[in-house]
Amino acid sequence: MPSRPIYLDHQATTPVDPRVLEAMLPYFTDCPGNPSSLSHGYGWEASAAVKYAREQIASAIHAQPEALLFTSGATEANNLAIKGVAEAYFQKGRHLITVQTEHSAVLEPCRYLQSLGFEVTFLPVQPDGLLELSLLEQAIRPETILVSVMAANNEIGVLQPLSEIGAICHRHQVLFHTDAAQALTKVPLDVAAMQIDLMSLTAHKIYGPKGIGALYVRQRQPRVRLAPQVHGGGQERGWRSGTLATPQIVGFAKAVELGLAAAETEQPYLAQLRDQLWRQLRSQEGIHLNGHPTQRLAGCLNISVEGVDGQALLLALQPKVALSSGSACASGKTSPSHVLLALGREPALAAATLRFGLGRLNTPREIDQAAACAIAAIQALRKTPSAQWVPG
Amino acid sequence: MATRIRDNRITSSAMQIYLDYSATTPCHPEVISTVQLVLSEHWGNPSSLHVWGERAAWVLEQARMQVADLIQAPLESIVFTSGGTESNNLALHGVASRFEQPQHLIISGVEHSSISNAAQQLAQGGWQVTCLPVDPQGRVQPLALQRALRSNTVLVSVIYGQSEVGTLQPIPALAEIAHRHGAYFHTDAVQAAGRIRLDVQALGVDLLSLSSHKFYGSQGAGALYVRPGLDLVPLLAGGGQEGNLRSGTPGLPAIAAMGHAAHLAAQNLAAESVRLTALRDRLYGRLADNLLLVPTGDPQQRLPHHLSFWVRWPQTGRRSSQPPLSGKAVVRQMNLAGIAISSGSACHSGKLTPSPVLLAMGLSETAASAGLRITLGRETTEADLDWTAMVLEQVLTRLTESKIPAAV
Ligand SMILES: Cc1ncc(COP(=O)(O)O)c(C=O)c1O
Ligand SMILES: Cc1ncc(COP(=O)(O)O)c(C=O)c1O
Repeated sequence: MPSRPIYLDHQATTPVDPRVLEAMLPYFTDCPGNPSSLSHGYGWEASAAVKYAREQIASAIHAQPEALLFTSGATEANNLAIKGVAEAYFQKGRHLITVQTEHSAVLEPCRYLQSLGFEVTFLPVQPDGLLELSLLEQAIRPETILVSVMAANNEIGVLQPLSEIGAICHRHQVLFHTDAAQALTKVPLDVAAMQIDLMSLTAHKIYGPKGIGALYVRQRQPRVRLAPQVHGGGQERGWRSGTLATPQIVGFAKAVELGLAAAETEQPYLAQLRDQLWRQLRSQEGIHLNGHPTQRLAGCLNISVEGVDGQALLLALQPKVALSSGSACASGKTSPSHVLLALGREPALAAATLRFGLGRLNTPREIDQAAACAIAAIQALRKTPSAQWVPG
Repeated sequence: MATRIRDNRITSSAMQIYLDYSATTPCHPEVISTVQLVLSEHWGNPSSLHVWGERAAWVLEQARMQVADLIQAPLESIVFTSGGTESNNLALHGVASRFEQPQHLIISGVEHSSISNAAQQLAQGGWQVTCLPVDPQGRVQPLALQRALRSNTVLVSVIYGQSEVGTLQPIPALAEIAHRHGAYFHTDAVQAAGRIRLDVQALGVDLLSLSSHKFYGSQGAGALYVRPGLDLVPLLAGGGQEGNLRSGTPGLPAIAAMGHAAHLAAQNLAAESVRLTALRDRLYGRLADNLLLVPTGDPQQRLPHHLSFWVRWPQTGRRSSQPPLSGKAVVRQMNLAGIAISSGSACHSGKLTPSPVLLAMGLSETAASAGLRITLGRETTEADLDWTAMVLEQVLTRLTESKIPAAV
């Protein structure tokens, strides 16, 4: 069997931890219960498993279990948060604020609301990807109902100052939603201390299964009203109907548990690997780090490379290193990343971008190999006649 | 408690018989291997361009093919969702959101709550919603649909196999009427899939909902058939997956399970429906020998695995004027005896209300609180059902003697 490429695309998705798989399997084999079937024991068993999982995940973000509802992933959680708040509060106001560097699962629901007559402010970011807080404060109006700012960016790993944003939002009595799909278990998240009203989560970025996520919805001070977007049997206290996927929920909770337990050693380890990679790459000329150098996810390194064709670079690396140029759902698209453009990168440079997403199982040796491959590919591409790159 | 439903030896206390296959079905053992393989090997993001992404995309497309085959649909017409509820909501809201002004929607009076509540939501937004009456067997009469159509009727949604009473609706006739009028037709085939043959061309539907956990796939996946050429407004906006109709990283393990389960269902359907029909009729015969059963739903046009009825009174019971026992009470006692049945559709089982479906069929409030549902499946054996019949008689007799108040 030919050796597989080194997997460095952990922001797109992560492998499922074998312990997560192990936790899930009994719920496929032994317990076929529908957690809503409360009239018989099969349903009780599933319902108890879901209850325990809910408590575990809620405690990871310092929330009450009743404030957490399960969804099919962060996309659904974001859609529910944004459209659900808009629908519940439109009489108070029709203005929302978000940031240009958000994931499409935030931007697209916002654009959908625009088509319904809502106003949305898409705040710019500073060249390092951080939101300028004074701009946020200025953008808030009496009719603003929601501010949505992601915790960790999926392309450049930049961590937004959630506590400060939470404080501003609460001072102005505006609800604060954060898409924490990339941040869960990797950076401290505390909905109470950070004054977060809604938070989107997903399992498949933290070694859990795909197809399961959650939305935190604050229940007290203030109690957030949310218009459900999927109607039916009234599961999840009416917020989100549909039979709960018990095995996935159990797997999600296990992934959170493992992630939290490992965080203390894992995050420094990933930061070390990331710095090791960056040290090697930056030895080359014309390579730019995207995003803030320290306010970032440990496992994410995003660079733009001068003098090469982005597609060609990715193709050259693909047999040896599996990585991407940005968001996975934009993989098929050729236009440069909206995140990098928001940082002020030239379109040509933004188009030649590599996102290294490091994970739990990567080794220092793999990082050296990946760096060497990337450097070789860059040098080779720069030598091709069409490149005509001159160090500036 | 013992949780192995495959392990249904008849040994008094430890015995467990699962007869609630309409609420959910256990994963088929072969399907579990698929889930396991996808979770451990094919965990890539199907949108990624590298080898892990390609492999995951292949798993996704294979599942799409298998689900398409189950309903004789073209590949590109299958949109994966998180389940039947989302599929139903996507069908209704997806069509409705195309119209700037509220229009007219027709549903039946025996829909699953994911249709009736989605319709109610539209009604709050100004839509006119007509709920078609059903006959005492739970069937929608084509004439009733014909009469209900208005100039601004844009969508008709009628459930195919009713979950609570098992009735099958005359979908081809209803779809034809809707189409003649220029309206789209959706059917919720969540209960029908894997139990009767489905062919979207023959049915003539534009939209059809499926849910994996009702045919031995796992929970967490569903699909909506969208006739090619029909435009929907997505419920979930974002990365543009599933041809922009359903954003979000697809729940690959459950989707792969759904594909595999669809493949197995297609293979086994003919034989299994004959087997289940025979088992069901045998059970009914045994129960009817000793109890005063009133069957609910259509005796002929029904799901093969589905038995539903209410018990007027055990014949041993004396005063036939006494009101019937509540379905809930019976279900609870059956559960204590190790047999899982249900009294209505699962999402209502926490609530103590008469079944809206039975009310729509013209039953009295007390009768509508007495409904029982026994649904059979892969693991069901003759012996299970003989035991079940015996236990049910005992339970009813004991409940009658203890004079537990009715409809509580
Ligand atoms: C920041 C962010 N938000 C939302 C999502 C979407 O999550 P899901 O794939 O669970 O729908 C992703 C990943 O795809 C993400 O990185
Ligand atoms: C007829 C019918 N439609 C829709 C659903 C909802 O499907 P799901 O449980 O996958 O959300 C069910 C089952 O609960 C059902 O029986």
